Amino acid sequence: MLKFVPYVLKSLWRHRARTLLTVSGTAVALLVFCFIGAVQQGLLALTSDEDSGRTLIVFQENRFCPQSSRMPQDYERTISKMPGVKDVIPIKVFTNNCRASLDAIVFQGMPAEKLKAWRDIDLQSGDMASFASQDDAALVGIDVATRRGLSVGDKFTIGDVSVVVRGVFQSATAAENNLIFTQLDFLQRARGANDVGTVTQLEVHLNETADPDALAKQIDDEFRTGPVGTTTRTKGMFQADTLADLAELIGFVHWLGYACVGLVLSLVATTTVMSVQDRIKEHAVLQTLGLRPLRVFNLVIIESFLLSTLGGILGVVGSSLLLSSTGMSIAAEGVTIAFEPSLALAVQGIVVAVVVGLLAGLAPGWHASQTEIVSALRHA
Amino acid sequence: MSLVEVMNVTKEYANGEESIRPLDGVSLTVEEGDFLSLMGASGSGKSTLLNLIAGIDLVTSGEIVVADTDITKLSRGKLADWRARHIGYIFQTHNLIPVLTAYENVELPLLLLPMSGAERRKRVEIAMEAVDLTSRASHYPRQMSGGQEQRVGIARAIVANPTLVVADEPTGSLDDETTEQILLLLERVNNELGMTLLMVTHDADAGQRAKRKIRLERGRLMENGQELQTAKLRTA
Ligand SMILES: Nc1ncnc2c1ncn2[C@@H]1O[C@H](COP(=O)(O)OP(=O)(O)O)[C@@H](O)[C@H]1O
Ligand SMILES: [Mg+2]
Repeated sequence: MLKFVPYVLKSLWRHRARTLLTVSGTAVALLVFCFIGAVQQGLLALTSDEDSGRTLIVFQENRFCPQSSRMPQDYERTISKMPGVKDVIPIKVFTNNCRASLDAIVFQGMPAEKLKAWRDIDLQSGDMASFASQDDAALVGIDVATRRGLSVGDKFTIGDVSVVVRGVFQSATAAENNLIFTQLDFLQRARGANDVGTVTQLEVHLNETADPDALAKQIDDEFRTGPVGTTTRTKGMFQADTLADLAELIGFVHWLGYACVGLVLSLVATTTVMSVQDRIKEHAVLQTLGLRPLRVFNLVIIESFLLSTLGGILGVVGSSLLLSSTGMSIAAEGVTIAFEPSLALAVQGIVVAVVVGLLAGLAPGWHASQTEIVSALRHA
Repeated sequence: MSLVEVMNVTKEYANGEESIRPLDGVSLTVEEGDFLSLMGASGSGKSTLLNLIAGIDLVTSGEIVVADTDITKLSRGKLADWRARHIGYIFQTHNLIPVLTAYENVELPLLLLPMSGAERRKRVEIAMEAVDLTSRASHYPRQMSGGQEQRVGIARAIVANPTLVVADEPTGSLDDETTEQILLLLERVNNELGMTLLMVTHDADAGQRAKRKIRLERGRLMENGQELQTAKLRTA
């Protein structure tokens, strides 16, 4: 059958306009498919990694947007003393846009030594020492830096907050590549005296034996009487709750992913049907020469397979380039979802393209193989 | 044992209520190395008989044995394999594959047979030489004249050294001069390559070039004014 591949390729080349349109249509559909997959993966990553189940986030009770959660910073000391707690990080969060946004800037202010201890980041440029020693210094996640064109030494202002970039980092946690880290006290002072001594959230790291749920309850009970009540959840739960609206939307968008698959199927099938109809007589001639009906079927399948797979490869490569070069993300209420290309997603895209290509060829291939030679030869 | 034995073959087409029967119990034997022409009025069933012998159409009843194989008993797949090994088919309108060069068109039947690349190349070159088109090997059908295309069609039909070469009005769409070239070529295929040839034509002059001249009239086969004897069915 391999001996006939050049014939199939030449047939595709003969109708290159049609081939090109089908391949590019398939590529676009697969690009969208992979893009949607990346968004879903980003969402999943927020709630599924190990850290998200073993770390607690303390937030002010009944508050959602980071700006509205203001707890006394000395809660940190109280929580630190509880059994099972390894460390507590006081964090001030500032975002320019609390609603869902594709270009939200999220600042997290925390003590430099805690940042070093608890964030798995890798500086691509700049250095930690100048970050720690300068008051308005910032470490910028690689995706924000790409999106906003920031590099070390740049001054960057959002609203009332003005920072100097002292480093660009890549984090092991994709969503963190959309954050800007600053010193805690800088961010507390940045927006007027009101915020001094308050934090947005406390990140509580537990030791191996502690029960996250029991500890969360203990923390909330402790502060029930005030001055400010708290809601404590695992980091995964916190992120899932914060992004609940967005998650619902993303859940819906995943149907569009299926629609893309359907689109590729009908596109490739249409082209293959056209190509079979064009060549009713040609297939009859091949059968006259001694090509078995099954082989005619295979020829058609190879054709639809090539169309779909080629488009799929282009779409997958395109989406990977797009996702990795633009560092796109979506954020709401200070929590970001990163759109990351991944090998698993690329493989999934290619597999979808291959399977759809084979399926699209089934009906036209069957039709071509069942054609009666003599009546097809009489065909004009 | 003759090379081709057509025994009591009937072909009927149902056309709604009516049915037409272009072949009504015809019988014919063809010896190895023969050159037959099959003539008759348009619509008399010549192509039908040729297609049955070539194994691309199915009989309504009767038997056709070619080189000891009863082809009316073969499945579609087996029949395709059988055609690849035994039949060379020359069409009226050459029916070359437009996306393939002359060389690739001629090579096509060999791709279906177990054969090394070197052997294939040798056979294609011999066939191209036989039709005097070596210089056009890399040309596409649209770059050739009607006569040249038909010569490529003949090369494709003989390249696998088939048991039987059939031609359905091979000169039907050619001018006089080209017709003469093609007829000379077919005579050489028969004389020099020793291939058995069955040619359908409605051109009386072309028909006269064959060694045996058969006519199809009202569903019956005639030779020298006499109806060909109905053979006994082998299975009878
Ligand atoms: N598939 C078919 N269905 C119905 N009638 C057919 C079919 N093929 C051929 N015929 C009829 O059978 C007769 C013989 O056709 P054919 O063998 O092509 O004649 P010839 O080649 O002698 O001109 C014609 O009347 C033709 O209309
Ligand atoms: Mg005819």
